[in-house]
Amino acid sequence: MRRAAILVLAATLLATGARAQSLAIVHAKAYATPGAPPVEDATILVRDGRIQAVGAGLAPPAGAQVVDAHGAVVTPGLMNAATQLGVLEVASTDDAVDQAVKSGPLGAAFDVEYALNANSGLIAVARADGLTRAISLPTGSAGAPFAGQGAALRLSEGGDILDRPRIAMAAVVGGMTSGQAGGSRAAQWRILRNALDEARAYGAGRRGLAPRDQLLNHLDAEALAPVLDGRMPLAITAQRESDIRQAIALAADYRLKVVIVGGAEAWRVAGLLAQARIPVVLDPFADLPYTLDQIGARLDNAAILDKAGVTIAFALTDGLSSVYNNYLAGEALREGAGLAVANGLGWDAALKAVTTGPARIWGLADHYGTLAAGQDADLVIWHGDPLDVSGWPDAVFVRGEAVSLRTRQSELRDRYAPGHAGDAWPSDYRR
Amino acid sequence: MRMVSRPLACAALALAALLGACASAAPPAPAASAAREPLPYKLDPYPSTYKPLPRVDTLIVGAVLLDGAGRRLDGADLLLKDGKVVAVGPNLARPAGVAVIDAHGRWVTPGVVDIHSHDGDFAMPMTANDLQTLDVSEISDPNDANVWAEHSVSPQDPDFSRALAGGVTTLQVLPGSDPLFGGRSVVLKDVPANTVQAMKFPGAPYGLKMACGENPKGTFGAKGRFPNSRMGEMAGYREAWLKARDYKAKWDKYERDGGDPPARDLKMDTLAGVLDGDIRVHMHCYKAEEMAQVIDLSHEMGYRVTAFHHAVEAYKIAPLLRREGICAVVWADWWGFKMEALDAIRENAAFLDAQGVCVTLHSDSPMVGQRLTVEAGKAMAAGRRAGLDIPPERAIEWVTLNPARGLGLDGQIGSLEPGKDADVVIWSGDPFSVYSKADQVFIDGALVFDRSDPARRPVSDFELGQPVLEGRP
Repeated sequence: MRRAAILVLAATLLATGARAQSLAIVHAKAYATPGAPPVEDATILVRDGRIQAVGAGLAPPAGAQVVDAHGAVVTPGLMNAATQLGVLEVASTDDAVDQAVKSGPLGAAFDVEYALNANSGLIAVARADGLTRAISLPTGSAGAPFAGQGAALRLSEGGDILDRPRIAMAAVVGGMTSGQAGGSRAAQWRILRNALDEARAYGAGRRGLAPRDQLLNHLDAEALAPVLDGRMPLAITAQRESDIRQAIALAADYRLKVVIVGGAEAWRVAGLLAQARIPVVLDPFADLPYTLDQIGARLDNAAILDKAGVTIAFALTDGLSSVYNNYLAGEALREGAGLAVANGLGWDAALKAVTTGPARIWGLADHYGTLAAGQDADLVIWHGDPLDVSGWPDAVFVRGEAVSLRTRQSELRDRYAPGHAGDAWPSDYRR
Repeated sequence: MRMVSRPLACAALALAALLGACASAAPPAPAASAAREPLPYKLDPYPSTYKPLPRVDTLIVGAVLLDGAGRRLDGADLLLKDGKVVAVGPNLARPAGVAVIDAHGRWVTPGVVDIHSHDGDFAMPMTANDLQTLDVSEISDPNDANVWAEHSVSPQDPDFSRALAGGVTTLQVLPGSDPLFGGRSVVLKDVPANTVQAMKFPGAPYGLKMACGENPKGTFGAKGRFPNSRMGEMAGYREAWLKARDYKAKWDKYERDGGDPPARDLKMDTLAGVLDGDIRVHMHCYKAEEMAQVIDLSHEMGYRVTAFHHAVEAYKIAPLLRREGICAVVWADWWGFKMEALDAIRENAAFLDAQGVCVTLHSDSPMVGQRLTVEAGKAMAAGRRAGLDIPPERAIEWVTLNPARGLGLDGQIGSLEPGKDADVVIWSGDPFSVYSKADQVFIDGALVFDRSDPARRPVSDFELGQPVLEGRP
């Protein structure tokens, strides 16, 4: 009954079309500040797409659309901290993949924002699973170890999904990727450092080297400028402890903001990471020595890092979960967060790792991550526990707008639901 | 010479009290014929040497018990004796000398059966070398029915102990899906061992992996080889089955009339085994129309398809699969990563189950293979969301009895009924929840995994002496 009531209300919201001027979700168990206890019987007031107030038993203003959550859990919309959403459609065919460049002049200058496809089927599925934000990171370029620049997405409907462009500079280091640097990760780190040196010189207008001695072209040199002045984090995908230690040293030597992505063995240097304030975007499913770079992978990586004071977020970057990473960017994120809870991370800390954690890591906390007044009103009303597989979203709001939970899959589900065996006409006529 | 191994194989089977399985591997006794021994192509020259690990009779008391055969018993006891399930029910008598495990507040299920694993032949860690020479697939010919997955299996793959910690007690290791005929599968007990033979499920029928769709035509077409189209794939199957029928006819004639035995052909051995009904066909197929073509193909050539694996569009042809008695082996939620996976829906398992099709959740990945009950939980939730009432005692069959049926072992494993093998999992809570873990796992009555006892948690040779695994805070 409760679920039906919410669905009816959500459908009503959708039917009215445009963004509600004023929306009130009442009788919610609101995790307004992930990490803190929920507000029971909360009213969440939304105006012009932003959170206006959250409080127990607040009266909805006159004229507001009211959604009764009937005591259900309401959280901020979830965020996946490293995906290829918007730049990947069908992984098996090159024409439907824009996440990497194999040749050409672009290295650090490669920027995924120009390829983003708001109508991607993957985005619709992620949104229906309660994901309202995601980082889209490039996975490789001809200028390795740099992979290029990622973007922050908001998974709203209507074509405009770019939250913030150039949110991070991605680099990939490790045994399986060292080939492009000549076959050694030592060369990867040297090339990385040299690129930063050349970019700094380029930015300072120095022309110390003859052009033919420079390894970096002007596009890449320009792209690295915000990394050097600390405005853009350098997101280094690395699994092995030795590479994570190199990343820590790089951050100190160049005074960079570094984010570790992957970090299967990050737990080994949890104290150093906390001290250096280097956050980790980790895969909560990673517990196998998939390659020799992640012999130390273990399911309590998240719990150990959190306890040490490292800011964590989740993404499904392990090689074994390539389907989870993008095709299940919302559902698997929730399952992974639950798995981290099963392995020692607090439930509240896990919710942070899929909301405020990534918001802080990628510099989006000014407008996303909590239900504090003034934040974008990204909200999910949950059926059950958002971090267990028995739960699901009953309603999803992005910047105050109720978004459709329809996907190609839900249309197929409705078309092929049991009970049509006696139909005289083929299923193509059913819509 | 070739006959020598037969009595040994059957002796091993007899030791494990599996006379039925041994008998089923042998052809009916010929009335008056020169060839009285089983035909050489039907023998298993790599017989199981599995022996149950040391065990004590055990009474598990007070659990929420899902028996795998459709029953849920709250506060039930389960008695395991001599490696078998002896009794299930409330307040069982406690025989002298029996170990008692208090399972109040915990859940008990049959051991999980993973019908589609690559553990051991996709062994961790992967290296750059494996990118070209992966042990999971022979891709030198579209017909690789001559290869046997067990010859690739590394028993020290850390995947096995992870799966065990997720409650898996039996798994079928399949070759990959690049060729049309990928080769023979092997069914293993998830027990730590140094040889594959010591893991081999005694008497389990062999499977043949076949594959439809994008993988075979992609693998071979990209090399300019046959097949490069789906119609080529069908032609490839048909030509091979025609040859196999001729091959089988020669052996049948030999068995009937004697004379010189036909020349052995390893590919044809396996296909003839399918035509004999001894080897079960496990067919990788995503799309509805391909499954329907393969069903007609099986009728044309005179064999049975046991299960369609991955089967993302099975929900589109549920009545056909029910009529044919073919199981659908599916993921809970994987979709989209290739064109033939675009139409996967999360309600696939629930819709099929509701229409009377035998449904199994599978892993195909060592990551998923650690949490098949959670996969079933996801599929159950999707069904509930679509309005289907699927109780836990039903959903557990998707990862226990149904896969056991697919392996032809449902008389022996897959449910906690008296007389069946004592493959049992005690879960910390609801096995479909992401928060629950397998606390204890029994195989043939032996406690092979105990989360609370480091001495009962196997560690692979590879993970021994690794500095990076030490020093946990």
